[in-house]
Amino acid sequence: MLIYLPIAELSVNMLIILGMGGAVGFLSGLFGVGGGFLLTPLLIFSGVPPVVSVATVATQVVASSASAALSYWRRRMVDMKLATALMLSGIVGTLIGIVVFNTLRALGQLDLIVGISYVTFLGLIGGLMLTESVRAILNARAGRPAPLRRPGQHNWVHRLPLKMRFKRSKLYISVIPVVALGIGIGFLGVLLGIGGGFILVPALIYLFRVPSNVVVGTSLIQIVATMAVATVLHAVTNHSVDAVLAVILMVGGVIGAQFGARIGQNMRGDQLRALLGLLVLAVAIRFLTDLIATPDERYSLSLLSGGSL
Amino acid sequence: MKWLAGAGIVLLLAATVAHGEDLTIALSQPEVRIDSNFTGTTIAIFGVIQRNAATVSRSQGYDVAVLASGPLESVVARRKDRILGVWANRAAEAIVSVPSFYSLNTSRDVDALAPPSLLAHLGIGFRYINFTYGDRDAVNDPAAAEFRDAYIRLKSQSGLYDEQQGGVTFIGDTIFRSAMRIPANVPVGRYTVGVYLFSGGAFLAKASAPFEVTKTGFESYMFSIARSQSLLYGLGCVALALVTGWLAGVIFRRD
Repeated sequence: MLIYLPIAELSVNMLIILGMGGAVGFLSGLFGVGGGFLLTPLLIFSGVPPVVSVATVATQVVASSASAALSYWRRRMVDMKLATALMLSGIVGTLIGIVVFNTLRALGQLDLIVGISYVTFLGLIGGLMLTESVRAILNARAGRPAPLRRPGQHNWVHRLPLKMRFKRSKLYISVIPVVALGIGIGFLGVLLGIGGGFILVPALIYLFRVPSNVVVGTSLIQIVATMAVATVLHAVTNHSVDAVLAVILMVGGVIGAQFGARIGQNMRGDQLRALLGLLVLAVAIRFLTDLIATPDERYSLSLLSGGSL
Repeated sequence: MKWLAGAGIVLLLAATVAHGEDLTIALSQPEVRIDSNFTGTTIAIFGVIQRNAATVSRSQGYDVAVLASGPLESVVARRKDRILGVWANRAAEAIVSVPSFYSLNTSRDVDALAPPSLLAHLGIGFRYINFTYGDRDAVNDPAAAEFRDAYIRLKSQSGLYDEQQGGVTFIGDTIFRSAMRIPANVPVGRYTVGVYLFSGGAFLAKASAPFEVTKTGFESYMFSIARSQSLLYGLGCVALALVTGWLAGVIFRRD
């Protein structure tokens, strides 16, 4: 069943895109991640131009994160002050990101930088996730208890100036790392079409010691806000948000996530993390082979004006 | 001045005596509409070569070239090179105002139609398309040939550039037809079909007809809104996403 995408300007099989959205939605429900880091590469690998993929997945991430954010909000599992600080700095990050994105695009180096960034981030995060979860699985097999982290433990983050109190998280920390993290996530969100939850959540837990009951809700609020801004920025500067593609992905994603979440409840956390780590590494390796393998076609065209490619 | 006027009359007489063929063509559709299930189409071109008593007799048969070309576009062609083990875009060439669509059907080999100078003048055949480059003065500068070849190859792969030798068939001595494939990724805009009539290497007549490629209905609406009202469009997409997310939360609510 072919459908014409008005912005991407190509015909795609609607069922394949729906299935793709559903599969990524399933995984995001299963692992509790946004899925942007899987969906953007999948779209690029299936022939949707990277510019359209990145922009449209930003829209899809708004939808998938909004429904989760809403349920955390209802249960009051959000630190609104921390979320606002992250959100405002995230918006600054998206503004920087869109300038870099458009400059790279004009220079013809967007695909390269997106590829290198995916290899770096996914390789790093996937590797860390895999080693951590394998260690946890081995510990559980050997019957050793997992090493506990003491809540009072401080690190370099807590010694920085400009401290601010975040009551809901019971934190008194410098705003510098908070703002830096927000900017970084917003920047990556625009550039790579990812929500950034898989970086934000570990950072909030391990660097800032944000209590686990508010960490996911708070990061979801930040993701919804920055990806909404990213969508608007892409729409205004590149005209590259494909609403038809976004709707198909959203519908698939929303349905897939429900099944994923149900199955995820019956699996152990360390096994889930090991699987997710493998998946993330696989995407990184795919990007790496695209970067280093001799391409079939060394030439490419990009449009300046008129026509279409 | 008298001799000049006399020469003029002689020329005028010659023009009426050696009367050339008239060419009449018709397209199967004057418009290609791109809608949500557009997967490409085919335009048929019919032509009639009209002769009358005054037309000179031809010792050789007729040859026809049907050339459809689309709106002009400007692109950057880039070449990947290996840098530090990674393939990255290095050399680039801006190609300015080149047809975004070029489909040529001929009744026989392009080179057999007419001498190269005539083909070049008429722009018939891939190699006679005028390529101008952003930062080169000469047209068809040989230094940029690799990018020009790459452009033609990539466009051919996407179906937007096409050469079919034998793509024009004669039904009778003076009636011919041709079919031109319009792929799904065809750019919107105004197209021109030019039909060129040759005999024995000489160019006899030309007829042309336009057709339009447009997006219709919902697709056209989305495309133009995304460009002209981009802020509104972006905000609309965000609103749509938020509503979808909220709806999903309501429908699948477990608590």
